[in-house]
Amino acid sequence: MTLAADRWPAYPEPAPGPSGPGGPGGPATRTGPRSGTRTVWRLELAKLRGQGRVRAIAAACLVGPFVIVAGLNVQSATPGDTAFGQWVHTSGFAIPMVILGFGGQWLLPVGTAVVAGDIFSAEDHFGTWKTILTRSRSRRELFAGKFLAALTFATAAMMLLIITDLLAGLLAGTQPVAGLGGQLVPAGHATELVLVSWLSVIPPVLGFTALAIFASVASRNSVIGIGVPVVLTLAFQVATLIALPAWGQQVLLSTPFTAWHGFWEQPAYVGPFLYGLLTSAVWFTLCSAAAWLVFRRRTIGGAS
Amino acid sequence: MSLGNPRRRTAAGAAAAAAAITVGTLTASGCGSTGLTAPRLQTSLSRTFANLYVLQQTEQGNPEPSATSLDSHASCQKGGTPDITQDGSGVWLCQITYLVAGPGYPVIAKYNVDVQTDGCYAADGDGPASVNGSPTITGPHYKQLINPLSLIDGCFDTT
Repeated sequence: MTLAADRWPAYPEPAPGPSGPGGPGGPATRTGPRSGTRTVWRLELAKLRGQGRVRAIAAACLVGPFVIVAGLNVQSATPGDTAFGQWVHTSGFAIPMVILGFGGQWLLPVGTAVVAGDIFSAEDHFGTWKTILTRSRSRRELFAGKFLAALTFATAAMMLLIITDLLAGLLAGTQPVAGLGGQLVPAGHATELVLVSWLSVIPPVLGFTALAIFASVASRNSVIGIGVPVVLTLAFQVATLIALPAWGQQVLLSTPFTAWHGFWEQPAYVGPFLYGLLTSAVWFTLCSAAAWLVFRRRTIGGAS
Repeated sequence: MSLGNPRRRTAAGAAAAAAAITVGTLTASGCGSTGLTAPRLQTSLSRTFANLYVLQQTEQGNPEPSATSLDSHASCQKGGTPDITQDGSGVWLCQITYLVAGPGYPVIAKYNVDVQTDGCYAADGDGPASVNGSPTITGPHYKQLINPLSLIDGCFDTT
């Protein structure tokens, strides 16, 4: 459908025939916007699989935690200034939490923005919008398909990272770990807490995905599409240093990345997590709605 | 393309309404205060200290005390001078009073506590040296272990 990577991507369906609405064969017999969106989504995923940066991120998610564990094994210093930092040589469960403490500030927002900030503006870069929109897919289907592909990538990368993180931690040692309330957390409960903590940062990651998509759609430029979320993470970091009132902290999209701390307290608290869900949902909704409004009224061809 | 589509205006209106509701809710939830108050810090720090004290004693091979019997209480002041607003992130000075040898003999441990805006803190031990002065302690068979009381990481709910 698009030629953004200089070649036709491998189409995942076996011989689907003309894949327009009403086209014969396989899932394409389900016509209407949903199957159209699905076609775009699958095609975008196929394109993503061919991108070097996507493969690099996947590789980093796959081996990164193990590299960190290996690195910690060959030296005795501990990462200071972060929760669980002093326990990385005592218990393997501390390692995924240290990675989350650092990664939540930079790596996760940037990782999703690298893909989501490019998925729309790449078509501008290659001048392929006209080609796509003359096909039998509506703007709505194109938007939804591309949007879903970016969300799918972000979720899949997070899931991969969660699994490898936990495995790397378990590999490093399953001794009980001291929680943030000073309580000793046994291995079983610690495993749960690691998983829940990591899952709790998926909503803000998706919020950053929508933000990058909005920047990508509005600017038609991948540098801005990727750069805006990166600069915003920096701005959020600066903002958290100021003595903002509590609600001011809560509206920042960076705050939900720290909500997991409450899970490790005794007694555990989930207030920041619930506010974080709301914050992420609002950012996600506003950014995706704004992206759609810009995208649907855009003039393509002509003077663009 | 269809400009001025009513459905688009609906979507924009919904987005604006969602933003207004959120900002309103969040404003009402904690107007002005950072939520980083002395009572919250004191409660969290004294509880965390008690748990880690138990951990320290068991790691050293001493009889395990119960966290409640320590009856630990923290008292925290920001900046050290009374006229500073006792609210917000920054360095707090805390004293934790706890009992190890009966009610007549309280022990006081001091900490410099760096409180961050998200409600997490790092409490750096500031004496007595035998309790929280050294980053390591000696366990059974002369094994060197991390002293849990030397640097205390903890968090409290600011919402």
